[in-house]
Amino acid sequence: MSLLKPFSKLPGLNTANILLVESEEQFQQSLADALVEETSVTVNVRLAKSLPLPMENDESRPRIDLVVFIINLTSELSFQSAEASLKYLDPGYFLGKVCFMVTNARNASSPAERLDAVRKLASSLHCPLLFAEDQTPDGVASATERLLTILKVAAGLVPIATALYVSNLTRCTLPLDIDLPSFD
Amino acid sequence: MGSMDNTAKRLLQRLVRRIPSQMLKTTLDKWSRLTAAQRQSMDYTESKWALTEKLLAICEENELTVKHIAELEMIHVIENPNLGMWYVFQLMDPQDDAHSVELTQFKEQFKSHLSELIRHVSIKIKKHTDEAVWIRIAWGDTFSRPNHLKPTYVVHYLQTPYVFLTSPTSKQKPLLSQALVLSTRYQAIKDANLSGRKLTAIRDLLMKQYLQVFPTKFPSPLAERNCVVSNLHIEKEQAGSAANRHQMACEAFGDGILPQLQSAVYKLETKFRDHTNKTMTERDEPFKCVVKFASTNLLESLRHSASSGVASTPVTPLLSSVPLKGKNYFVITDNGPGPSSQMKPSQK
Amino acid sequence: MCALSEGVLSHLSLLEVQARSRKSRLQQQSRVMELKAKVEALKTQREQLKAQIQTHQVWGLMVAECDFRSLLACCNPLFFPALFYLLISSGGYDIIKTRKGKGACVSIATAYEDVFLDTFNLEIDLKPTVKINRHNIPPFIPLNNLAEQNNMQTDLRVFLDTLSQHLNAFAGRKQQLKLVKEKHKSVEVMESNVLCSLLVLLFTVPREKTAVLCTLDYTDHTRCLPTRVHLESEDKQLPDSPQWEKNCSLLMETPVHKALITMKKMGSIV
Repeated sequence: MSLLKPFSKLPGLNTANILLVESEEQFQQSLADALVEETSVTVNVRLAKSLPLPMENDESRPRIDLVVFIINLTSELSFQSAEASLKYLDPGYFLGKVCFMVTNARNASSPAERLDAVRKLASSLHCPLLFAEDQTPDGVASATERLLTILKVAAGLVPIATALYVSNLTRCTLPLDIDLPSFD
Repeated sequence: MGSMDNTAKRLLQRLVRRIPSQMLKTTLDKWSRLTAAQRQSMDYTESKWALTEKLLAICEENELTVKHIAELEMIHVIENPNLGMWYVFQLMDPQDDAHSVELTQFKEQFKSHLSELIRHVSIKIKKHTDEAVWIRIAWGDTFSRPNHLKPTYVVHYLQTPYVFLTSPTSKQKPLLSQALVLSTRYQAIKDANLSGRKLTAIRDLLMKQYLQVFPTKFPSPLAERNCVVSNLHIEKEQAGSAANRHQMACEAFGDGILPQLQSAVYKLETKFRDHTNKTMTERDEPFKCVVKFASTNLLESLRHSASSGVASTPVTPLLSSVPLKGKNYFVITDNGPGPSSQMKPSQK
Repeated sequence: MCALSEGVLSHLSLLEVQARSRKSRLQQQSRVMELKAKVEALKTQREQLKAQIQTHQVWGLMVAECDFRSLLACCNPLFFPALFYLLISSGGYDIIKTRKGKGACVSIATAYEDVFLDTFNLEIDLKPTVKINRHNIPPFIPLNNLAEQNNMQTDLRVFLDTLSQHLNAFAGRKQQLKLVKEKHKSVEVMESNVLCSLLVLLFTVPREKTAVLCTLDYTDHTRCLPTRVHLESEDKQLPDSPQWEKNCSLLMETPVHKALITMKKMGSIV
């Protein structure tokens, strides 16, 4: 099985490489366009629908510093695709180099159970869970900012912080009443 | 009591209500039953009610009858074929002279055959510039005059096997079928299982007037123009498989703007197949259910679901049959291919 | 750091930069020569292909040789005589194999008077039987009839030839109708049909302004010329006059848009 490994390649100078995985291939495009605008660091964005990544690109692919799974809470397919892709990542990624980003959390057609499932997943893997709004430029801009913050740390570009250290602070935690029925 | 009886008045009222004020002028001009002076006297900024009254007066003045109003309605429908519901029928087994049927012959034959079958019927036939033959039929019976308020419209292109109908009732269908078969020199007619709101869309689908994609050695030069020059720092990992899916989706449904179908209906009469539900799988009778896909442009939606990976590729024949066979109503049984409208069910 | 930047290391790096730029300049120059040579070669090839098109005239679609050879190589003439025969003769259609030899896609180009018109495609299953999968041929071309009559199963080439004839003739007739409508506005098209197998035109005779109704029947759908010309006029003598008999035969032998030009010149019609 071809696992994506976090440290098998050399890093680039002042470069951060991010992989956005999204089954619907929509939000990742606008995020990518915003991410590459960053000036202090060279950001390279790789876009994928799911993992595993094609073997043909293995040689040319740079070292991926951060893997982001974008899940649309209104789509079960989106969640299942992200979940199925997880096994193609080397366990080393789960030490601060993976994060989950969900959209449409406030949408009426997103069942609460799905968000709970994503929370449980993120929490069990010690990954941060970000909520994003993908329809407006402001939403895209703030999601980009937050990703850049985590990305810079994961790429080793922030002097004092390491990915593992930061992930301890940002990882998703489960509220104690997650398994109790909610008021709806 | 003028020439305009109640039916004529009601028909005119309905028409003026339906036709948007901006279009009313052009439609009336095409009708050419009004004198220049009368046309000048119409003020299209008035309310519909006022316009109706005005027109009624003019029609009385010109001694027009319900037949003339029917003409006006026909003009309006021909200009706006995409309102209302159309059903397609297919002529089968052409006789040797089917290919040389020409317009005058068809008109005479159709009128005479239908008049033989029903005593009171009003038929109007008009040839449109795009070679379509339009027929307006107002049905009566042995005792009553033709009802102009519930006409049936028929559209046929000579030398093609397709006939397009609006609202055929079960009583009228066999009579209409008979007349059509005899006048087009075919031997039978059957339901083509295709329907839609837009005549132009179902016509384009059947006449293959949309961009189909075939495997070719030389990919279109336009493909290069479509390549969005993205940022050098953004790279799609799975661009190859995305392009593959897109190609297969386009081969199944077509490229560019596709004819607008509004729905596809699958009537399933297959045995229930789900191992986790024993009660249902144990039944002998087939599980009857109807699956309906609806969209403002069904073919484009299906194509998008294939190219985005939601529907698996290669595209299942259940979906690709819609454009391939030109149908949007399917009955699926377990027995495999039966009469033309049946197909094999999928493994799911 | 400052002392070192003016010393040995800086000198070395200067030399390195110089050497690199010299190499890249050389590389660039040789690359430019390479590309120029390639341009010349492609230009010659283009001229050759243009010449080939000229000789093929109406049937002008090129078939790439490399694919032909590989298709030939895998096609056993004993099992697929029709396909084999098709491949070794020239046609006016392009054929490529699909689904690892189990299918083929035929592209039939139509042209009339040196103008390329529509291209029609057929996707065919070769195994287990020869069957048409999908196509974009309009319904007034009797595809299934042609397939049956020409034994598509055993002789694919004959079927494709006949189909190509029908399609080219249809495209030719359609083009003629289009030209008549565009270039002869004084002639009214009274009737036509989607197959373009019937054309009824209304002529006006100059001076007397008599109307002449001309019916052109194209009953042979493989031809661009009519099989029958019928004239009708209010002036009963007119169709039998020598001038109009000549016009009649002109319409039988010349494409209608060209015949009309002649008839106008001769003063027969307005």
